[in-house]
Amino acid sequence: MELDYLATILLSSLSSASILLIAAMGLAVVFGLMGVINLAHSEFLMIGAYAALTVTKAGVPYILSIPIAVMITMSIGAIVEMLIVRRLYGRLFDTMLATWGLSMFFMQLVVVIFGTSTVSVATIPQFNVSIGEYSLDGYRLLMILVAALMFLFVYLLMTKTVYGMKARASIQQPEMAQAIGIDSNRVNTLTFSIGCGLAGFAGAILLPLVPATPTMGLAFAVKSFLAVVVAGPVALTGTVLTTLGLGGGSSITASFLSSVIGEVFFFLITALLLWLYPCGISAKWRRKL
Amino acid sequence: MKNYIIKSMFVCGAVFGASSTFADVNVGAIYDVTGSFSIFGVMQSNAVKLAIDDINAKGGLLGEKLNLITYDTQSELSKYTQYANTTVLRDRPAVVFGGMTSSSREAIRPIFRKANIPYFYSTLYEGGACDKQTFVTAPSASQQIKPLVEWAIKKYGPKMFIMAPDYNYGTISALWYHEYAKQFNGEVVGEDFLALTVTDYTPTIQKIQRAKPDFVVAIPVGPNQVGFLEQFTSAGLKDSIPVVSSNYSTANEQVLLTPNAGKGIVSSHVYFSSLDNPENKAFLKKWAEVYGKGQTISPEAVTAWNAVHLWANSVEKAGTFKSKSVYTALESGEINFKGPNGDVSMEPGSHHVKQNTYIAMGDDNYGFEVLETFKAVAPSYENQKCDLIANPKLVKHFTPKA
Amino acid sequence: MTLSEKIYQSAGLTLPAIATLTALVVAFLIDPYLAFVSTSWLIFGLLGMSLDIVWGRGGLLSLGQTAFYGMGGYFGSIAAINFSELTGNSIIWALPIGSLFGALSAMLLGYVIFYARMGELQSTILSYTFTLLLWSVIQTFKIDIGSASVLGDSGLSNIPGIIIGFGAEAESLGPNQALMTVIIIVAILYFLTRQLMHSHFGRIIDCIRIDSSKTELLGYDVRKYQLLNFIYAGAIAGLAGTLYALWSNFLSPSVFSIQEAFLPPIYVLIGGLGTLAGPFVGALMIGIMSFVLGGAAGGQTTLILGVTLILLVLFLKNGILGSLDSLWRKFLPDPNAAARNTNSVKIDVEVLKQILIDAEKQAGPAKNFSTIQLFKKFGGVIPVNKVDRNFIPGKPYSLIGANGAGKSSFLKTCVGIYQPESGVVNLGDDNITSSPIFERVKKGMGVKNQKPQVFGDLSVIDNLWIAAYSRTHDQQIALDISHKVLCMLGFEEQLGVNASALSHGQQQWLDIGMVLCLAPRIILLDEPAAGMTKEETRELSLLIRTLALHTTVVVVEHDMDFVSTLEGHVTMLHQGEVFAEGNIEELRKDERVLDVYLGRRKHV
Repeated sequence: MELDYLATILLSSLSSASILLIAAMGLAVVFGLMGVINLAHSEFLMIGAYAALTVTKAGVPYILSIPIAVMITMSIGAIVEMLIVRRLYGRLFDTMLATWGLSMFFMQLVVVIFGTSTVSVATIPQFNVSIGEYSLDGYRLLMILVAALMFLFVYLLMTKTVYGMKARASIQQPEMAQAIGIDSNRVNTLTFSIGCGLAGFAGAILLPLVPATPTMGLAFAVKSFLAVVVAGPVALTGTVLTTLGLGGGSSITASFLSSVIGEVFFFLITALLLWLYPCGISAKWRRKL
Repeated sequence: MKNYIIKSMFVCGAVFGASSTFADVNVGAIYDVTGSFSIFGVMQSNAVKLAIDDINAKGGLLGEKLNLITYDTQSELSKYTQYANTTVLRDRPAVVFGGMTSSSREAIRPIFRKANIPYFYSTLYEGGACDKQTFVTAPSASQQIKPLVEWAIKKYGPKMFIMAPDYNYGTISALWYHEYAKQFNGEVVGEDFLALTVTDYTPTIQKIQRAKPDFVVAIPVGPNQVGFLEQFTSAGLKDSIPVVSSNYSTANEQVLLTPNAGKGIVSSHVYFSSLDNPENKAFLKKWAEVYGKGQTISPEAVTAWNAVHLWANSVEKAGTFKSKSVYTALESGEINFKGPNGDVSMEPGSHHVKQNTYIAMGDDNYGFEVLETFKAVAPSYENQKCDLIANPKLVKHFTPKA
Repeated sequence: MTLSEKIYQSAGLTLPAIATLTALVVAFLIDPYLAFVSTSWLIFGLLGMSLDIVWGRGGLLSLGQTAFYGMGGYFGSIAAINFSELTGNSIIWALPIGSLFGALSAMLLGYVIFYARMGELQSTILSYTFTLLLWSVIQTFKIDIGSASVLGDSGLSNIPGIIIGFGAEAESLGPNQALMTVIIIVAILYFLTRQLMHSHFGRIIDCIRIDSSKTELLGYDVRKYQLLNFIYAGAIAGLAGTLYALWSNFLSPSVFSIQEAFLPPIYVLIGGLGTLAGPFVGALMIGIMSFVLGGAAGGQTTLILGVTLILLVLFLKNGILGSLDSLWRKFLPDPNAAARNTNSVKIDVEVLKQILIDAEKQAGPAKNFSTIQLFKKFGGVIPVNKVDRNFIPGKPYSLIGANGAGKSSFLKTCVGIYQPESGVVNLGDDNITSSPIFERVKKGMGVKNQKPQVFGDLSVIDNLWIAAYSRTHDQQIALDISHKVLCMLGFEEQLGVNASALSHGQQQWLDIGMVLCLAPRIILLDEPAAGMTKEETRELSLLIRTLALHTTVVVVEHDMDFVSTLEGHVTMLHQGEVFAEGNIEELRKDERVLDVYLGRRKHV
């Protein structure tokens, strides 16, 4: 097999994994720091995409629409946390069902507001890169960098800021955190809202790759959900590994064999990993983030 | 536990009892108006309503007012079975319009067969459904593929690459592409079938580059189609390898796509809203009056609209709403309708329609320019396999063998 | 017992029985279309019940129920299509085969989940992955089996309806008769399941949910019971799937879809987790709501359903039946009232001796317990370093040592919680080094951990009974034994009280009582005196000394005063090795012991 073909497959699989990581990051933060599985995560991603699309249509440059989308999803996230998630702490499966209901609600709400198909915009960046005889979507490759930066940002946010320390303290030593005066409610609201903001960011940044439709989140929902759970308690770093392994692996499989086998690969490896690591791959790690 | 049933049944009875007391002629419509398939369902449901209102506004049918009862199946298959039986058992409709995915059609077809109620299906599908009660106004796959393959090979060259979703619509369509490629001296140089949940098309795009085809046939459905075209364009390939499709525009994909990516995509379909004829203009005007301006009309809205009118014409010809006479009328070979997409006529034996197929190219403003019109294309595969006049007891779903 | 209490006790039987009869009458009378639609709600309720067995009782939220439902549906239908043409009656073919395949798929998935001892969330996710895997495979799967053709996403058509007549001319039942048939089938399954959940099997399943490690310490093979429960639920789900297929005459891969997998948990949660009847209420509510909305809401169905779901989760924590249940209980006398008027425990030594003599008769003489070169390490830490010990009956053995000396690790390696790197553990003449915990217990090991481990939701007598039953496998003998232990502890008054209502100290005693019910031939006690009052400690010491006369007793303890009252052998561990031994006086004179054990702590 030619070298350039191999190189493009590796690069594009890496970018597929990065896209999955971008989509799953917020979910991992919320799961890792709050122990909450947010099944409406993919709808926040969708809201982010719609927000970016709407402001871009209003004439704002695409690049500026991204922070706006993040702010919108963060605010919605904070409201959702205060109204719903806060009341269900410690009830993992109840939270899952409530957020499942929320995802149904958001999906239909977007249909009511925007209709089933929304006109796209022309100002979204498109460029391509050539490797040997093959050419690749440049924006897609850019996602590798975006994923890396996003991870770095979240990592620094959690380790170098006061908020991050508080957030980690509240999850690792909740009583101690309470005792030294950390308001865990506020920290949790912020954490959840950051998780939703990351989803909004994902929706906005992926807009040139995935069109904004009410059901766009579904495509990411299942896979990012699985990747985060397989990652286990050290959600953030663990998710980097699982998205690389599962997402990249299934993309490579799809390249050499067929798309359905790629999907089956994803699910089978997920099952296999769960079997080998019954509490997630990071269950025995020493690190905490 | 179950005493809830009783209470709730009274509630249900009260809710539905009201609508079933009308003396008018009932018409059932069963579509996914909410949930993940609403992208296809809302348009058809609205079109049926528009058509029924249109008929009522002109004084009804045979002097009777039509009473439309719509059901929202919420993109959930068990709801199809529930509502289909509800409408049969309670509303006793003269006709039912509805169904979306192949599985939803297959779920409700037997119910109407048993109840002997004419059932109209107007979603683009893989073809081959055949029984006395079922009438299909949407094109079947082969109907659009033949003209497209002929056109594309002449225009771009013989080598084609097929990318299709990995379920019946995709695999059966692919068989037709192979079949017609042979017929028009073309060659399939590669194919890739995609799982339903896939959003990553780079593996396919690389396979395409490797196979070096003269053109690509892309028939994923809805947002998947958009994702593929967007990524194909971004990879800088669209200018060197043209893309043709026999379902692009079904769910208004051209609107979701960025104008740059949409430009130059060739689609073969039975309707484009840019068609220049008086019926289309009147239809678009009516639609805008009821549902607001600025909506892009999908081909399936038109096939649903045609379905209602073809049925209405057959009732008028039969002079009664009785199923048996309506079938006879529909099978007379004389049921025609001048629709927004040109003349459509019901084929007597196969219960599919003969209609125009248009080859159109996307522009950079979410629209299409019609390049060529193939007049009155017959559903040849269905006509060949399915003759319900000679063999009225036939109940089958024909699929071509590879 | 007052009348209202009696009614409450039997509510799980009488109310469903009344509901069944009413439903049968209603089913006969209502409009055919309503009969038809409500048949599906009942089937969904049955699917929900299969989840409730696994989740509400077994404690595992499975998103695989729809997979078993689908597998059962497909295979049951294939059987019905092929055979019922010849014989008529479709359900005699479809139901057994459907439930068989539901059970088989549950067995496959359950084996992986339970034998790999997966985490809670991971088990849920694995079951979800299982469903998704089937979904993506069956979407493109095509096969002809006899006259049934599975056609990928176009599904499986021509499934016969519910036929109960025999012969080739037998016709499918009309909607009303079909509903009545389904009501009867569902009622039979409900009462069967209720019976099962009230039998010893159900009680063991309850114990596993509450505390699976304690259940294993009582000698139950936890994984086996979990798997059996899962398989039973799989069979119910498979049967529900078959009924669904016969109802709709059609089946497609959508039963395995992402969305469908979440419906059973919704039914269960809305109806009330663990109530068995709740899922029917939940399925009915959601069914009615979405049916009415889909006919009338003008296309906002999912909007309203989503909001309702959120509100229900937020404001009806225990579901509808669960909330009604707690409301009802408010008007009943408090069953735990007796927990408040208890005196401190006073061991009745005569009864204890009688129990121990009986135990010896039934379970044989006390056994020796020995370790040979037992070695365990964690990374660089070696908490158990080549320990040779032999424990024999007669006098209690105490293991002492400073924090981190390795006494707990030694005990855990003996119990089987840790697997040693090398060395041997013998119980009597058996090498049990690699035996799972429950087998060690069956061979005569009894373990009492530091914290009291009792089944909080079960009554005091049930706690004892479940322990006794593990050994005797006879309901009546187990009851006799538990009553004796109850007398010995002086808990006669608190017989019906929930164990969780007892005080901490009383729970310790109950836990010890449970260990005695096992008639162990060797008893391992981990810091039994922790958190006990002086008086209680005295009673405990008496108990342990009496025990040691009939069995082998090993106590891990750091309270030296308590150890000295035991008048037994003392072994001191240091850095994972035996450091000194003898009786407590000898050790107290040993300077090295004082250096290591006490010397560093000036204030002890």
